[in-house]
Amino acid sequence: MTSTDTHNAVVVSGVHKSFGNLSVLRGVELEVPQGSFTSILGSSGSGKTTLLRIMAGFERPDSGVIRLGSRVVDDSGHRHVPSEKRRIGYVSQEGALFPHLSVGRNVAFGLARHEGRRDRVRELLELVGLSGLHHRYPHQLSGGQQQRVALARALATEPEIVLLDEPFSSLDASLRASVRADVLRVLRLAGTTSVLVTHDQDEALSMADQVAILRDGVIAQMGTPSEMYRQPEDPALARFLGESNLVQGTVQGLTVDTPLGQLAFLPSTRGSCQGHSGMRASVLVRPEQLVITAVDEGAVVGTVGSYEYFGHDAVVRIQPESEALPELVVRVTGGDPLAAGTKVGLVVHGLVVAWPERV
Amino acid sequence: MTLAVYPLVYLPVAASLRGADPGQEEVARSLGLGRVRTFLRITLGQARGAILGGCLLVALVLLAEYGAFEILGYQTFTTEIFTESQVSFNIPAASALALVLVVLSTVVLIGESAARGKGRVVRTGPMAQRVVQVHRLGRATVPVLLGFVVLTGLALGVPIGSCLYWMFEGGAHDLGGVSLLNAAGYTALYSGMAAALATLMALAVALLVIRHPDRVGRLLERTTYLVLAMPGIVIAFALSYFVERYAGGYEYQKAPLLILAYAILFFPLALVGVKASVAHAPLALEEAAHSLGQNRWQVLRRVTLPLVGPGLAAAFCLVFLAAVTELTATLILVPTGVQTLSTQFWAYQQNLSYGQAAPFALVIIAIAAVPSYVLARFFDRLPGRAMMAT
Repeated sequence: MTSTDTHNAVVVSGVHKSFGNLSVLRGVELEVPQGSFTSILGSSGSGKTTLLRIMAGFERPDSGVIRLGSRVVDDSGHRHVPSEKRRIGYVSQEGALFPHLSVGRNVAFGLARHEGRRDRVRELLELVGLSGLHHRYPHQLSGGQQQRVALARALATEPEIVLLDEPFSSLDASLRASVRADVLRVLRLAGTTSVLVTHDQDEALSMADQVAILRDGVIAQMGTPSEMYRQPEDPALARFLGESNLVQGTVQGLTVDTPLGQLAFLPSTRGSCQGHSGMRASVLVRPEQLVITAVDEGAVVGTVGSYEYFGHDAVVRIQPESEALPELVVRVTGGDPLAAGTKVGLVVHGLVVAWPERV
Repeated sequence: MTLAVYPLVYLPVAASLRGADPGQEEVARSLGLGRVRTFLRITLGQARGAILGGCLLVALVLLAEYGAFEILGYQTFTTEIFTESQVSFNIPAASALALVLVVLSTVVLIGESAARGKGRVVRTGPMAQRVVQVHRLGRATVPVLLGFVVLTGLALGVPIGSCLYWMFEGGAHDLGGVSLLNAAGYTALYSGMAAALATLMALAVALLVIRHPDRVGRLLERTTYLVLAMPGIVIAFALSYFVERYAGGYEYQKAPLLILAYAILFFPLALVGVKASVAHAPLALEEAAHSLGQNRWQVLRRVTLPLVGPGLAAAFCLVFLAAVTELTATLILVPTGVQTLSTQFWAYQQNLSYGQAAPFALVIIAIAAVPSYVLARFFDRLPGRAMMAT
């Protein structure tokens, strides 16, 4: 066992899992640092819930090893620690509150009869902002309240790791933001390690210290939210995480020549174009890197196709005059709305990401 | 006959509808389906498993019914088996007839299996159930209530009425209060224990079938229905032969063997009710309980049992009701010197002493009323679902 294990709350190594002929996980490697909040992001059907259920002990891997803390809880052989002995908290998509028990009894479910149970329940309900509702039954609660009860129930036993399976997906947008913030606050206060599975990139980026993208049954990339956003390892990952403009160019030293001008690229990107002068490259320009200018000041000129207003900012879609460019997505803050058909100029700010194109 | 067996359909269907999701009906209405089509496509769909299960039970139970057919003078396989074995002592002929019954019921089983289809009725939405709206019937109230009155009137009134009639008109008024009480006590005891045993067995099989659906489990479940088409007498003979041969006659004509016979006979009844409700206790809840540090037994006791409770109660009552009225197996296996209500009724009825038989029939009805009442109360007080009525 290496010394890093003591700093990781969860270590998943070489996990494979198939259902019948369908191979879902194909060698997942994942490390979740102690006390961190890690999001596993994947499209639906990517196997992210299966991965979480394997960590929880509800499913067993076909091969591979799961460690929680310093304990091997599943080696896909003889060793299988059942869920109830893993000291985990689990919050599922629907909350899965026990319909025959009141809120108070739901929260107290995992607690033994002594140990000041009633005080603990009150404390937990206060923590999730639901004091006074302990006599209610689950069906008398709103979706957001149900999820918060489920969280309180999961935290009651003071688990070392809390596993969250898309707990916000059944909530409507207005509720989601506030419940998300509440949950994050509660989890930080409790100081537990948290693993969140989600298909919502905003959720993954805003809540987590660490994001892992699950694609084709493996972790395609893992890093802090800003690394993931700024330095995706391939164009598909760029498209998956946030909106993106992908253009073609030719590498020139530490820059790349594109129809948007000569752009400097981040030198650190893996599979970087550094030292590949003359090579064709795909270039990522994030919408907020594009700035709208007057027509004669822009590197390129285009026509406004649509203007979507979100209050705090707006997304403008621009059809460039150059046929070498796709429709460009631009994020603007402030300023007056632009009418469709307006001619504008565009320049690129900041460093871009460039990947050598596979021939 | 329809009147006698309709509870077999009603109980599982009611249990299943109570657990059904009102949201599905609402979705159907929102998709532009009218009331009638919503009922046909959603409500019936939700109860489909239970309805088919109930019909299956009826078909099989009727195949095995003896007493009513005999008294009404119809010849069926079961009456023939009884005659062959008890009157002519022609065991080979009786066995051959019993085998034909097995084949017949296999056909019924395959038919039901084909009709059941592949859909699942396990709820997929949020686990916490919303309150079911109670319909105000409005102008339909009177006809609907009348319908219920006619149904219960026919099912209950006619037998009770004729029993009372025979009791007072049938001459010999030697009611034999002690033997009546004794018979009632034994009947309740045997039936209750058999019902508990059958329900327990059904829970195990239902959990296996629903949670780990594979061919073996399904086959096991299906074949248990064959038992239902077996007249009690066949089971009774089989059991007593088995005991004679391999257990040295141990327990023959003693209570445990009779209870075991009842439990085997009516196990399929229990299975229908239990299965319907196990489907309403989703695995996610048990997983949540496991993640909260509860082991298998704790989860069973604290989550699964409370959730499948209504189904268990329904199953218990079904078996109890069936066992109270069971005749043929009882005649063979009843402990020496003991009379149950149905054997005593049968004895008097055979002697055409209807007046003496009538009180036993009345007590059978009275005993049967107890579990039905308990069942109704249980449904109404179930926490979490209780609010449905308000």
